[in-house]
Amino acid sequence: MTAVGFVSYAGELSGMPPAEALRRAHEVLEYCGLGEARYRNVETYSTGMKQRIKLAQALVHGPKLLLLDEPTNGLDPRGREEMLDLVRSVSHGRGVNVIVSSHLLPDIERVCDRVIVVIKGKLRTAGTIKDLKKLAGQPADVELREPNVAFANMLMEKGLTVTPPKGNIYRVQSELPPEELLRVVQRTALESGAQVRGFETAVRTLEEVFLEALTA
Amino acid sequence: MIQIENASRWFGQVIGVNDVTHTIEPGVTALLGMNGAGKSTLLRLITGQIQPTTGSIKVFGNEPFANPEVYKRMGYCPEIDQFYEHKTGRQFVNYLARLAGMSAAEAKSRTDEVLHEVGMADRADKKLAGYSKGMRQRIKLAQAILHDPDIILLDEPLNGLDPVGRREFMSYLHTLAERGKTILVSSHILFEVEQMTKSIMLLHRGRLLAAGDVSLIREYIDKYPHRVRIETPQPREVAAKLIQLPYVLKVEFDEWRGGIELQTRELNQFFAFLPTLTTEENFTITGFSSPDNNLESIFHYLIE
Amino acid sequence: MSNIKPIADLSYRNYDGPLKKPGSRWWVIAKNGIRIALKKMALWGLMFVSAWYYLVMLVVLFFVQQITSSNPAGAQAMKAFMERLVWPDQFLHGFSYAQLPMLIIALMLGAGSIANDNRANAMLVYLSKPCDKREYLFGKWIGIALPILVIMVVPTIIFYAYGALTFREYGFLKDAWLLPKMLVIIPIAAIFHASIVVGISSMFNQARNASATYAGIYFITNFFTLLMGGIWASSRGETPFPVKHLFYASIDGVLIGACKAIIGTKGSAPFGIQSQGGMSQVPAPAVVPILGVALLISVVFVLIAWRKIRAVEVIG
Repeated sequence: MTAVGFVSYAGELSGMPPAEALRRAHEVLEYCGLGEARYRNVETYSTGMKQRIKLAQALVHGPKLLLLDEPTNGLDPRGREEMLDLVRSVSHGRGVNVIVSSHLLPDIERVCDRVIVVIKGKLRTAGTIKDLKKLAGQPADVELREPNVAFANMLMEKGLTVTPPKGNIYRVQSELPPEELLRVVQRTALESGAQVRGFETAVRTLEEVFLEALTA
Repeated sequence: MIQIENASRWFGQVIGVNDVTHTIEPGVTALLGMNGAGKSTLLRLITGQIQPTTGSIKVFGNEPFANPEVYKRMGYCPEIDQFYEHKTGRQFVNYLARLAGMSAAEAKSRTDEVLHEVGMADRADKKLAGYSKGMRQRIKLAQAILHDPDIILLDEPLNGLDPVGRREFMSYLHTLAERGKTILVSSHILFEVEQMTKSIMLLHRGRLLAAGDVSLIREYIDKYPHRVRIETPQPREVAAKLIQLPYVLKVEFDEWRGGIELQTRELNQFFAFLPTLTTEENFTITGFSSPDNNLESIFHYLIE
Repeated sequence: MSNIKPIADLSYRNYDGPLKKPGSRWWVIAKNGIRIALKKMALWGLMFVSAWYYLVMLVVLFFVQQITSSNPAGAQAMKAFMERLVWPDQFLHGFSYAQLPMLIIALMLGAGSIANDNRANAMLVYLSKPCDKREYLFGKWIGIALPILVIMVVPTIIFYAYGALTFREYGFLKDAWLLPKMLVIIPIAAIFHASIVVGISSMFNQARNASATYAGIYFITNFFTLLMGGIWASSRGETPFPVKHLFYASIDGVLIGACKAIIGTKGSAPFGIQSQGGMSQVPAPAVVPILGVALLISVVFVLIAWRKIRAVEVIG
């Protein structure tokens, strides 16, 4: 079947009148980025296009709730980005609610606002992503150009808690407000000969949230 | 040690890989590229399933094509997901162990070891047809390491694994790498690759676009100067100060998140200068980072 | 006036138009199946082939008419020919010689119907719409049964009309119920073929495997029937009990037996050829059992399809 044929068939199966289904199929295919390939046979599509046409047929009848199961499965990086952007733009401000089920937590962070962690059939954690990622006490992740032991030691002498580095990144804890902490860190770096390449409020990654929920 | 020298392979008029030259050292190397870039072809060339049309591929100094001596030292974990569904996991791995030439007793003990290493020891006695994706991936890895190969090639190994499984798999690969093995991983999922290794090979339409350490590659991308984000409640003042630096090329104001984003070619000089803003001149800065110093940006820049 | 923006907003917009209630999806599915089938050119050719007996008889009768009206010498022979012709048997032959083309047509319409959906994993998509299994199955089924019905009915009616108008004096209308009887057996044939095809299609992932299976069953059972016919022909007059019933134990046989039973004839040689008995004159089975068998087989295959249609994804 052609892509338009397939999507309008899906639309008709959802109950749309045939004329509306065809019109809407064109619209939705254009939106999903398949505008140029819409008269081609679906069997000739690449994996990325097939994923997008699956999204198109799910959207054609204007649902208010969209359920996506591993939407980026099999897609290369560019396809993945496009798919995630599509999903995000459908959900925000259009009145469509989206539930995404996925193993790829950075994808979820990019697209979703809330997350539910289900382990062995039980709900373990739920909440907005922003809240779940917050770490108590606002620690900072400091990235140096290369690891520097003197830097860590000097920070600890000044009364700050410093974790051993992951790669080039140290996690520093203190009660100081961020801009003060940044000053202290940069001063210490200058004194110890290190170069600070990044300073950000540390957050838990969603993966850490998941793993913590697992062991809780 | 895999040495690829000017290797090309085409199928009729379709080019698979085009004049690729690289040496893959021990450790974990990632093979990246869009769909159809030639990753599978390259893997098949290395595993000796096909021969290069021109150029050469040498694994440990020998050509891998139809060369059992080389096969003995290689393990391949392919992307395809077809097994003998009626066998159990243990039977399947055992069968492959026998095929590799082990005696019945050896095969049995080695199967047990390997299943234990991949974390399937307790679940290996169910039929493969009922396995989840993650379990199948582990069985694939198990059969790849049966004969303790020196080179392991994995095509999309983390596909379908949950975060726990992914962590375990990656740490296992690291263990193998520390033992001195050469591991080549082909994957689409860039943030996972980032966690695994710094050494990549990027293929695009058959050609080797970039190979080596990720940060080194970033240095060489001239077309896209480094971006730096600075979060500050005083964006205009900070920007006014930074614009005066000769190596700052562009400053943008981020209205939505508050803060500025600038582009510079000299990352070192810039970060050497930045402390003076806060320590000597008392500007308020609450954070800064290099948003495009990651694999995804590199991929984006090189492929676009 | 200034409210109208010159640049349209082409981002995603929702669809809030009318949506039909469930209950009418089967027609969408049937329409789709028929449309796909009609695109195949071979189908049109086969439609004519399935009516070949009627076409041949039309030509033969036409020439017979011409000869009797123009040449009185040959008229006697022709008159004898016409007296020998048993009209109901012409319909029986038209029906039975259409069976092989109808098999092929049924396969073209239906072998891929569910098998292709299985292969493309589209079952998951279709059944996640407000379209339940009943509608899905009925839609697929009707998409096969309806065309078969039309393809068989049209030549029958044309031939009947020609006969009724031209050969009234030769006793064409002796049995007033002939046409209604045909209009009973033809839908039964359509139901029969459609049910089996749908059932077999749901068991496979590829259309050609389903085709091969049904064709295989057809020919093997037909061979069995031939065997029985041979036994019958060699023991003329005396009908061994098993032969009389097992002769109809094939896909062809069930339908032809049912047709014979409904029309109420034991058959004769085709084209009005003179013959003394032979395979074409095995007596008809009783109406109720043969129809029962036909319907039973149909129901069994539909139930197979019902069991096999599940919204699960095939991994790998």
